Amino acid sequence: MKIGIACPYTWDVPGGVQAHVRDLAGSLIGLGHEVSVLTPVDDPESAALPTYVVPVGRAVPIPYNGSVARLAFGPLSLTRTRRWLREGEFDVLHVHEPTVPSVSMLACFAASGPMVSTFHTATARSRALQVFGTALQPALEKISGRIAVSAAARRVVVEHLGGDAVLIPNGVHVSQFENAGPLPDRPPGPTVVFLGRIDEARKGLAVLLEALPELVRRVPDVRLLIAGPGDAGEVREAVPKSLRSRVELLGLVSDEDKPRVFASGEVYCAPNTHGESFGIVLVEAMATGTPVVASDLEAFRRVLEDGRAGVLVPVRDAGALAAALADLLGDAPRRERLAAAARQAVQAYDWSVVTRQIVEVYETVAGRVQPTGHVDVDAELESLAVLLAQGDGNDDDAGRLVSTLRRWLAERPRLADRS
Amino acid sequence: MTAALVAVGLLVLVLVYASWIAGRLDRLHARVDAAWAALDVQLVRRAAAARAVAAALPPGEVAAALDAAARAALDSGPAGREACENDLSRALRNALPVLPPGTELGELETATTRVGLARSFHNAAVGDTRAIRLRRIPRALRLAGHRALPQYFEIDDTANPAEGRNMAAGDGRST
Repeated sequence: MKIGIACPYTWDVPGGVQAHVRDLAGSLIGLGHEVSVLTPVDDPESAALPTYVVPVGRAVPIPYNGSVARLAFGPLSLTRTRRWLREGEFDVLHVHEPTVPSVSMLACFAASGPMVSTFHTATARSRALQVFGTALQPALEKISGRIAVSAAARRVVVEHLGGDAVLIPNGVHVSQFENAGPLPDRPPGPTVVFLGRIDEARKGLAVLLEALPELVRRVPDVRLLIAGPGDAGEVREAVPKSLRSRVELLGLVSDEDKPRVFASGEVYCAPNTHGESFGIVLVEAMATGTPVVASDLEAFRRVLEDGRAGVLVPVRDAGALAAALADLLGDAPRRERLAAAARQAVQAYDWSVVTRQIVEVYETVAGRVQPTGHVDVDAELESLAVLLAQGDGNDDDAGRLVSTLRRWLAERPRLADRS
Repeated sequence: MTAALVAVGLLVLVLVYASWIAGRLDRLHARVDAAWAALDVQLVRRAAAARAVAAALPPGEVAAALDAAARAALDSGPAGREACENDLSRALRNALPVLPPGTELGELETATTRVGLARSFHNAAVGDTRAIRLRRIPRALRLAGHRALPQYFEIDDTANPAEGRNMAAGDGRST
């Protein structure tokens, strides 16, 4: 299929949506599809830019939804979007976050033909939707298939746009995580890993630090490995002097090192307090086979399959967290059981599975019966007829099915054309 | 003179508005048609797969009921379609636990998943269309022409052999 993807956020700035689009585009190309991604790009000359990316120009920083988003919106962007659509002749157009005022929204306004959208955000109140909801409706109502990456994102769609979205989770390249080894030169002692922005309160590092003294009392040689950007000094301040030697701060880690960070721990801890839509980090940790102890948030509960594939603890409860971590560190067989369950659970999030589900959506809205290439109607009818004939050897039934199929084929000129 | 100008101005506004809404409705109806065609394909496919499964069952009441339900679904006209497809879902639900091990279910799984997808998209299209058509002005000006008001297609399509590991099949509820 020829697939056009619109990504609203600047390609060369790290972000969840960009990563999702990059991995999706890669997987689709791997399956033999033709993919073009339209997105704002800061440095169009960069050698790191994949060949499937079509830059729409630079994005302008705009304060939006409480943070600064870098968006491309204006006459020039619109012209380029139109040209991309015209030259691309896509079988399916896939717009990400079409309610964000950027290329996805422009593509939505300019396009005709089968369109799919993915909603990532779980923000209950989107300012664009509140202010421009009615004005956006004519563009959004062109979308034939809506996808939400999480139950929370889906709820936003239902509440703000009406109608429904199908749930297809975020993807992870499980194979990049499953065979990871630990970082070199690890000191001895059971290790608890934390990964996330250390100065962002909702990631919950404070709760973990609060649990540390009790954890040390129960597991005397325990260590804490903290990875993620932010002010390390503040973290050290929050730890009692006597315990500082047990806390290791790695700062920001590269994508390559991330699996090894997880693999360096006996347990991965996600003490987040709120505001998680999905929990991709949990899936990554689970893929490395590191058992997870996480806050009992809706998104995490789903990923951990209600506690079957990881331990859930009450949110913001340092005492419970210390107890759960200590129990798990002292119980190797249980860690193994959880890791095995987790490795099985993450298969559903592997890009191979997720991409297949997304392609199913493409095919449904594009009216394709076969994944790629020609639809050989006669061969299909024949194989169905054979199937039926083998079923009970009754030619009458086969004939009836064939006439049914002919009937719907007659009603679908697009498909008939392809034959 | 002024009154006439105002009247002409208002008329132009109404005409522009009417043609804009009519264009949107046209597009929405095309979307409903395409979504229904996609749903129809997958329903036929599911019924055909159900017949293949029925043939694999040991002869008996369950197999006969499944085969009959699948035939009825394939033969049904638009009016009885929902009821027939629902009967098929029920027959499938009864049949799945008693399938001989190793029964080929791939086609049925795929078809059922896609019925879920197609139905969700169809009902979303119907919802968007109805939202405009039921407004006062489009109704008064008959901007939808002679098109019948699109109807939701509500069936229970959760009887999927892939249950549990199938993330894609949203339950397709539409508001």
